[in-house]
Amino acid sequence: MPLHKVGYRGWGSKKIPASRRWWIISQTGIRLAIRSRWVRRLMLVCFFPVLYWGLGVFLLEQYIAQPDLQSDIIEIMEQRERFQPTQNRRGRRNRDRDRNLPPSIRRMRGYEETLSMLPKSDELFDSLKSPDDGTRHVVWSWLLMTFFRYPQAMLLLFLVGFIAPGLISRDVRSRAFLLYFSRPIGRFEYIAGKLLVPAAFIAFITCLPALVLYIFGIMLSTDWSVISETWDIPLRIVAATILVILPTASLALMLSSLTQESRFATFAWFAFWIMGHGAWLAIVLTQAISLSSPPFSNTVMDSALVENWSLISLYNNLGEVQSWIFGFDTFLNIWPSFMILSLLTLVALAVLFRRVSAPIRI
Amino acid sequence: MSPLISLQNICKNYRSMPALSDVSLEIQPGITGLLGPNGAGKSTLIKVIMGLVRVTSGSGTVLGNQLGKQGREIRSKIGFMPEDDCYIPGLKGVEAVQFSACLAGLPSTEALRRSHEILDFCGMKQERYREIETYSTGMRQKIKFAASIVHDPEFLIFDEPTSGLDPEERENLLNRIRILATVAGKSVLISTHILPDVQAICDHALILAAGQVRLSERLEVLNRPTSPTITLRVAKASTEFAEDLRRLGLTVDTTENPMQLRISGDSDRLADQIWKMAQRHGIALHSMRPSKNSLEEIFISAVEEASIAPP
Repeated sequence: MPLHKVGYRGWGSKKIPASRRWWIISQTGIRLAIRSRWVRRLMLVCFFPVLYWGLGVFLLEQYIAQPDLQSDIIEIMEQRERFQPTQNRRGRRNRDRDRNLPPSIRRMRGYEETLSMLPKSDELFDSLKSPDDGTRHVVWSWLLMTFFRYPQAMLLLFLVGFIAPGLISRDVRSRAFLLYFSRPIGRFEYIAGKLLVPAAFIAFITCLPALVLYIFGIMLSTDWSVISETWDIPLRIVAATILVILPTASLALMLSSLTQESRFATFAWFAFWIMGHGAWLAIVLTQAISLSSPPFSNTVMDSALVENWSLISLYNNLGEVQSWIFGFDTFLNIWPSFMILSLLTLVALAVLFRRVSAPIRI
Repeated sequence: MSPLISLQNICKNYRSMPALSDVSLEIQPGITGLLGPNGAGKSTLIKVIMGLVRVTSGSGTVLGNQLGKQGREIRSKIGFMPEDDCYIPGLKGVEAVQFSACLAGLPSTEALRRSHEILDFCGMKQERYREIETYSTGMRQKIKFAASIVHDPEFLIFDEPTSGLDPEERENLLNRIRILATVAGKSVLISTHILPDVQAICDHALILAAGQVRLSERLEVLNRPTSPTITLRVAKASTEFAEDLRRLGLTVDTTENPMQLRISGDSDRLADQIWKMAQRHGIALHSMRPSKNSLEEIFISAVEEASIAPP
C-alpha cells in the first residue's frame, strides 16, 4: 500500500456549533456567485457612481469653504427668482423669451430643471440658499438618498437578478436539498444562509459605496466639525441598506423557491419590478396626457391619485421609505409604503418557509 | 447487544395513503440490508429514521435519541448517501465533500484536509478538482459516498450505493463498506435491490413490503436450511442413485442441471450416507457442499406473502 494511502481514519475533534452553520451556506453561495464574470463586472461597475456623487460632495465642500463663491451663487439664485420661467397661454415654456435671459441664469435654470426632477430638491435648494451648520447634513443626505435611489437601485435590480433566482431553484433541480437536510441543518438555517447571499451583494453595492462616499466627504472637508454635523449619516446608510435588503432579498428568494427553472425566477423578478413601476408610469402618463387635452387643459393633475398608485411600484415604495430614513419625510407620510414593504417581506418569507419544507415532506 | 435503532408501531400516512403500517423493528450493530420492492416504504423508513418526516403514530429511538424530537441530534450521528443524483452545481468534487463536512460541523480548514483524506480512501484522484457536472455516474456515486462519511458518523445509511457502477467499482465500494464496518466499527443500513450485494456484505436482512416488515433476521440464520441439505455434483446422471437415496428416507431434488442434486434429510450422517451410496453405484462425486437458502427465494416468498396478506 502506498504511504499516502492511510485507509479510513476516524475524526473526533470539536465541531462548530449548529447556530453558525447557516454561515457555511452563505459563504458557499457567495463564492459560487463571485465565480461568474458578469457578477464581478457588475460589482466593479457599482463603484463608478461614487465618482459622480463624489463630485457633488466636492462641489459642496468648495461652496462651504469659499464665502465668495457662496455669495455669487446666492446672487445668481436670487436673480433666477426674478426671471421666473415664462409660459405661453397653454402653460408651456416660452423658449423664445428665455433666450433673452443672462447666460448665468440660463445655466442655473438648466441645473435647476434637472435637479427639480429629482425628489426632495426643494429642501436642497432652500438649504443651499441659506447656508448654515445644517447645510452639509442636508446636502450629503440628499446626495446619498439619490445615490441609493438611482444608480444603485438599477444595479441592484440586475445584480440580484443574476444571483438570487438560482439559489433555491437550482438546489431543487439538482436535488441538493438532500445534501442540506440530511445534515443537522433546519429550514431556518437554510433560508437564513440563502438570504445572506443576495443580502451580502446588496450591501456591497449600496452600503459600502455609500460609506466610501461618506468617508470621501469627511476627507474633503476642512474642519473636524464635519463629524459632529454628520455622525448620524452612516447609521442612516446602514438603515437604508437593511430596508432595501429585507424586501428585495426575500422576494428574490421566494421567486426562486417557486420554480425549478432559474430562468423563470429571473423573468418573474424583472417582471415584478418592471410591471409594478411600468403600471404606475402608465397611470401617471395617461393622466398627464388627458389633462393636456382641451376639455381638461386647465385642470391640475390629481397628485393624490398619482401618490396612491405609486404604491404599486416596489421602486417607488423603496424610494419613499429611503426619503424618510434620510430625513426628508416624516413617517406619517410614508407609512403606506413602509407597510407594503413589510407585508411583502412577510408574505415572501412565509411562502419561502412553506416551499422549502416541501422537498423534504415527501 | 442493545439495538442502535428501535421502532415501535410506526405508521406514516401521506394524506390517506399509508406508506408505513405498524412497523416495529430493531437494527443491531453491523451491516443491515434493507430490501423491498418498489413502493415498499424503504425511502420513507429512511426518512423516518433520519427525522426528516413526522410519523403519524408510533415511537422509537435512534442512536439513543428520541424519534421525532431530536432530529438534529440524530442527523449529526448519521451519514446519508441518497439514491438520487444530488449535487450543488458549480462546486468541484473536493469542495462538495468539504461543504458536506462543514455542514456537519467540521471547521473549514479541517474539513478540507479531511475531504482529501476521504477522497483518497474512495479512490478519487485528480478528478476531485473538476466540477461535479462533468463527472460520470460512478464518480458522482463516489462523491456522494465520500460526502456521507466525511464527518465520521456512527451510523451510515446508503440508498442504492452500487447503482450505476461497473463491476469493478461495485466490488471496490462494497469493500469500502466492509472496511467501514469491520475496521472502523461503523454500523450500516444499505437499502438496495441488488440481492448479491446484501448476500456479499450484510449481517442482517430486513425485508419491507407494502409498508410492513415482512422479515428481519440475521443472514446467517436465513441462509441455513430448515434441515441439513447438501448440494452434490456428480460425474454422470443416474436415476437409480437418486431412487436408492430416497429409499433411505432422504429428500432428493433434481435441479435444471441433471448432474446436480440437492439432498436433505434429518440424519446427522447425511454426508456419510451419500458417500456410501455413491461408492455402491460407482458414481464419481465432483463436489459436495452444504446448501444455503437463496436470498432471492426468501425475498420472493416474503414479497408474495405481502401481496396475498390482507391489508
